[in-house]
Amino acid sequence: MTRSQKLALVVDDSKVQCKMLSELLEEENYHVVIANDGASGVKKYSEHQPDLVLMDINMPIMDGFEATRRIKKLSGAGTLAPIIFITSMDNEQSFIKSVEAGGDSILVRPFTPLVFKAKVKAMQRISDLVGQVKSLQQEQQDDAELAEKMMSNVIEARNFALDKIGVIKKAAAIFSGDIQLSALCPNGDINVLLGDFTGHGLRSSIGAIPVTETFRAMTKKGFSILDIVAQINRHMHTLLPGDLFFAASFARISEHEKSAYIFNAGLPDGYLFDQKASIKKQFTSTHPPLGILPQLLPDAQFEVVQVMHTDRIVFITDGIVEARNQAGEFFGYSRFEQAAINGITQKNLVVSVLDSLDDFCQNCEQEDDISLVEVPCSGWQKVKVTNKVTIPEGFTEEDNHFGTTPNLSPTWSYHLHLTGRLLKTVNPIPLVMSQINDIEGAGEHWQSLYTILTELFINALDHGVLELYSSLKDSAEGFTQYFNERTKRLDNLADNAVSALDNFVRIELQYFPLAHGGKMIINIKDSGQGFEILDVIKDNSIAMNDGLKLSGRGIELVNQLCDTLEYQEKGTLVTASYIWHDLISLE
Amino acid sequence: MTVSSKFSADAKQFVIAIDQRFDFSLHQQFREAYNSVTNQGLKYILDLSQTEYMDSSALGMILLLKDHVQLYSGSLTISKPSETVNKILKIAQFQRLMTIE
Repeated sequence: MTRSQKLALVVDDSKVQCKMLSELLEEENYHVVIANDGASGVKKYSEHQPDLVLMDINMPIMDGFEATRRIKKLSGAGTLAPIIFITSMDNEQSFIKSVEAGGDSILVRPFTPLVFKAKVKAMQRISDLVGQVKSLQQEQQDDAELAEKMMSNVIEARNFALDKIGVIKKAAAIFSGDIQLSALCPNGDINVLLGDFTGHGLRSSIGAIPVTETFRAMTKKGFSILDIVAQINRHMHTLLPGDLFFAASFARISEHEKSAYIFNAGLPDGYLFDQKASIKKQFTSTHPPLGILPQLLPDAQFEVVQVMHTDRIVFITDGIVEARNQAGEFFGYSRFEQAAINGITQKNLVVSVLDSLDDFCQNCEQEDDISLVEVPCSGWQKVKVTNKVTIPEGFTEEDNHFGTTPNLSPTWSYHLHLTGRLLKTVNPIPLVMSQINDIEGAGEHWQSLYTILTELFINALDHGVLELYSSLKDSAEGFTQYFNERTKRLDNLADNAVSALDNFVRIELQYFPLAHGGKMIINIKDSGQGFEILDVIKDNSIAMNDGLKLSGRGIELVNQLCDTLEYQEKGTLVTASYIWHDLISLE
Repeated sequence: MTVSSKFSADAKQFVIAIDQRFDFSLHQQFREAYNSVTNQGLKYILDLSQTEYMDSSALGMILLLKDHVQLYSGSLTISKPSETVNKILKIAQFQRLMTIE
């Protein structure tokens, strides 16, 4: 049998009929196999996998209806093995029965050879179409699986600390429209994102890679969560068509500050659970999903909460609360909350929520992507506060005599002077860090420098320019109050065009290379009235011992990271020197 | 599940109403309901009082309607959403983008 020759199976107990049908089929270039009863017809079908079956109805051992039912069962749902009943029973009942048994057509005797051949051609045309659809489907499936593999390599494989973050991800199609990201900030904070593109499948995943790249790159450079959200929003607005958008929740968790910054744009409430599994706080959506507006709304603001080390933050997408059971009921918030609470008590939130969802939905078809992230508020990479950077071991006076005389003039210096409105709109730290990276290259030791710069800049802005008292942050309520007040004062600062230039923060860096490392002198001057930094530190070190105090931790940290730290001019000028030792060159 | 639409008697308002579930299956119907309406300065009312459920693709469809409305300098109001539907609109903060009453 050549490839182009099709195979037909004729099932008929009359040898004469078989011979006649075979001849007609051979004229149509079919190769023919013959069976004389239903049972051997089924057997020959599975042996030969023919392209066409002609079936008599009344036969010994097994009739044509039963044989057809078995053949259809064998050939499965995706393939069409067209079966034509050949009968002389010209009545309604046999017609209906043959279709019910799975027959694709019926031909009533007597018929002319031309009618028979036309019928065979028509059937073949349909089965060719089915074959084409099937192979297209397969191709599409293969493409989607390949793309899915590439996508998960870009997205999930590179997430930070996957072992510590609980994740549920059940896609409704191969491609999930949901995305889960985590990345480490330069100062040891962690950024987490859970997002949901409208719809699911390939169409909804086009934004996933740009979102991922933006989130990772900006986190690494130390941009604030609002900067990242604003950038992703701009990106999605230009990229996505009008009816596609991106609902997402963001969290930045700072272990050393014991705080979390949350922004929810269009997802169901996020949760803060404590150790005992009670809900401490819910984070309601405060902004339309990203990609709808060209820019974030002017009042877009993240929420700041105090967190304990034993707390955890949980974000979910609407696929969880809108999952439905047989009766069409929604899983809903209260079932979710109960499952989460049970889960935390049993120390496995993910499993508990999944079990509860499965119990509820049974085997109902999943309509939307289901995702969740569960992020503990501690246990992230520690900022090395214990590794006090004075002069590292093996670092001698000799180092200072290599190359230039470092104490006299720096090899480069840099300054940035921000005034008025820019103090609200520009985050200078990523700019400064990017300068340092451009000139000196990337390095581990910049992590500590990032922390020092951030803390000192925030102090200059908050306590200097904005005249906020950090003692406000001593209580949980005050903490929120502090951030609200801060936002208000920044707005006033931005709106005040008259004395814009009077309000400033100036950051100055001087770099001194050492033979096996380097030294950075940081000067930050602000336009404020000054504040008594010593009191803050003293207060703080007493409080640190009973673990109560929430404010002033920043300075304590900086103090430990720096070689020297000195406040002058009533606290309006701070000079810090940071020395690091290049460990590799010691080897 | 149907989309119905009609002009008010004075032809100043154009009301689109959605039954039961407002989801992706109505995509075509919903678009056809307003696509040929090109009157300037028309007040569009999207009546969701009979809508029991709405998914996120419906939100996308509303955004497309909003683009259409703006193209012809009209206004868009979402009218009487049920509690379930309102919750979804609230999560998406659509009250910041259009009038909901």
